[in-house]
Amino acid sequence: MSAPEERPEGWLSDRLGWGGIVASLSTHRVPRRSFVFYLGGITLFLQSVQVASGILLVLYYRPDPAHAHESVEQIVREIPYGNLIHSVHAWTSDLFVACLLAHLFTVVLRRSFRPPQELSWLSGVAALLVGLGMAFTGSILPWTERAYTNARVGSQLAGQVPLIGESLRRFLRGGEEVTIGTLGHAYGFHVAVLPAVVTVIVAAHLFLLLRRPVVRPDKAEHETLPLYPEFIVRQAVAQMGALMVIMTLAIFAERPLGPVANPLQPTPAGAGPPWYLLPVHALLRDAPTELLGIDGARFLAGVGLVLASVVATLPFIDRRGSKVTAWAAIAVLLGLFILAIHALD
Amino acid sequence: MRSIDFVAVAFALLGSLLPGSTASADTGEPSTPLADRQLPAPTSPTNTCASCHATLTDPKLRSPAHEFATSVHSDDRIGCVGCHKGDARDPTVAAHSKAAGFDPHPTHADVPGICGGCHSDAAFMRRLNGRLPLGQLALYSLSLHGRLSVEGDDDAPNCAVCHGKHGILSPASPRSPVNRANVDKLCGGCHGDPKRMTKYGIRTDQYDKWSKSVHGVAFRAGNLKAPTCTGCHGAHSSAPPDTASVGRACGRCHEEELGFFEQSPHSKGFRERGLAQCVACHSNHDIAPASALMVGTTPDATCMKCHTQDEKPRKVASDISELLRGARDGAASARAEFARAETKGLHVAGAGFALERMTTAELRVRGIVHTLDPARVQARVAAVDASAAEVFQLVAAAEQARRVERRGYFVALALAGLVLGTLVLKSLQLRRRRLGEP
Repeated sequence: MSAPEERPEGWLSDRLGWGGIVASLSTHRVPRRSFVFYLGGITLFLQSVQVASGILLVLYYRPDPAHAHESVEQIVREIPYGNLIHSVHAWTSDLFVACLLAHLFTVVLRRSFRPPQELSWLSGVAALLVGLGMAFTGSILPWTERAYTNARVGSQLAGQVPLIGESLRRFLRGGEEVTIGTLGHAYGFHVAVLPAVVTVIVAAHLFLLLRRPVVRPDKAEHETLPLYPEFIVRQAVAQMGALMVIMTLAIFAERPLGPVANPLQPTPAGAGPPWYLLPVHALLRDAPTELLGIDGARFLAGVGLVLASVVATLPFIDRRGSKVTAWAAIAVLLGLFILAIHALD
Repeated sequence: MRSIDFVAVAFALLGSLLPGSTASADTGEPSTPLADRQLPAPTSPTNTCASCHATLTDPKLRSPAHEFATSVHSDDRIGCVGCHKGDARDPTVAAHSKAAGFDPHPTHADVPGICGGCHSDAAFMRRLNGRLPLGQLALYSLSLHGRLSVEGDDDAPNCAVCHGKHGILSPASPRSPVNRANVDKLCGGCHGDPKRMTKYGIRTDQYDKWSKSVHGVAFRAGNLKAPTCTGCHGAHSSAPPDTASVGRACGRCHEEELGFFEQSPHSKGFRERGLAQCVACHSNHDIAPASALMVGTTPDATCMKCHTQDEKPRKVASDISELLRGARDGAASARAEFARAETKGLHVAGAGFALERMTTAELRVRGIVHTLDPARVQARVAAVDASAAEVFQLVAAAEQARRVERRGYFVALALAGLVLGTLVLKSLQLRRRRLGEP
């Protein structure tokens, strides 16, 4: 019988320094009952599912308005298992955004952003913004009636951002109107720019979490778990559960493609923005013409930006012992929910 | 009336030359004496008519210049003098001199000659535009419209009635009244008007009937190849086809049907009885879409218009009807099967081609019916049945492929469940180990 280091896995382990990594992860403790950690892990897993399914889709997708819809139709109808991959990608996109938002919300409720987690928090908020961007640009790519409306309305919403709105709108559209340039930009951002950015941000997020553990030193040992192997196995259970949910949804609730975009036709009835933009859509749609002497939509966009800045800087403004942040988060969530329902009217 | 108009024009022009005259004869608007007018640069060195008339205040004198500017005749080699004569190089009122042949209002009867003067001149037309045809005047002279016009009927259309006067556009222009897309309205405008048609004693329902016919409906749906009035009656040579030749008019498009008809017993029978070939069964303006119901022995079948008693023709009609209904039902169920598969989101590879083949085979069946030979009809019906069977086969294959794919889904789901179970067991094992349980 050969010595352990002479076996192939021993050779590889020796080269990778696996023993050191395992030892380090074993000493790292995480809270035993922390939904925050599971949500973060699931979000990361969903991101991996998106990358894997996205690679399969990108092999057949053609990013120009004349062929985009046709190529997605080909994926769904002609490529073996293409329908499943398309449905998995579409469902995972929605679950990814939902988990991202839920992850953020639970962190706020548990106030896990407190020092020394400021940088983890900031990287998380950045990941959220990039994640929303990925989901939104992805919704444009099939070039359906709905996708076209998303591109038009989404870039119009971006145009309301104070100071840089007009330039941002033109940049997102790749010109004055939603054209071939818009689809090209959305495709480039969806498959190259945003995935690269999010990879860096998530890597930084994980690195910061490992460098500054969230478990306080005074925490009792029975309330924590070793990161390796127990927590990682639990994470794998949660992630496999998520995979089964996605597959069940993809098999039993297929995502229909919808008719091809026709810029010459009026906006089809029922075509609204993606669900995560419904509150913003409701606010800007029903905004008064003028607020405090400023254009209503622009004013509300400004207020939204201030709120987003407050959220981003929570670790620096939240006072120890105060429960205002948690209650404010619940109130904001409730408000967004009401606005989303209103947008569906 | 025309001479009064001419006098009015002449007075208007002369009046504007008189010292102290500051108002247009018709409008009363102040105007500048022509002699003192600073004429704008003429549109061409040889056509001062247009440049002068474009500046006049009287709309009756100004609008021809504006209309002419965008017309197909707005060319130095034609100009206003092409029709009205006069001297276009003279920028004064002397351009209108009778000595130069100036004719402000050609009569209704003059118009074909004026237009035909150029359009029948091969040398001139070839120099101007080699693509243009030459025989319009000759064809018009042979037409009913032309003959009536020559006889002095001012209500009979001449060139200007259909093509316009000063603003004549190329027939290729979508705005031209003789454009392929507009010509039905042009003919229908007169032939659908009872007031105009009373004196000729002809019907006025042709346009309405055509609009509801298979041809009219196809044309309105955007199929510009569907025949309008000129497709059967001709354009410049317009005349109704007679009983003996109507089949030739239909056969210009329905060549195969006409060929089969001429091979059938109907061909001789129709000739002997003086029946109009296609029209006897299909009508003329209100042609309904051909269907299997036209053939047969039911009271509303077309065959029963003549063959209520004859045993042999009734047998043929019955046999062909059965074949047609079989083909129609087979094709309909194949289409329904394909639609059902589509509704389920199933992609049936190759079914589109099979359906197209089936549609072509159905059209070929319609043609062969005109032979009145059940055996030949049967041969073509077999092609429809074969394509329909192919559609069913392809749908079944696609459904089988979907079932296999579904099985794959469930296998993947089961594998994921297995991995999940294993991980749960491992997690419980780790928990027990952490808590020091056996």
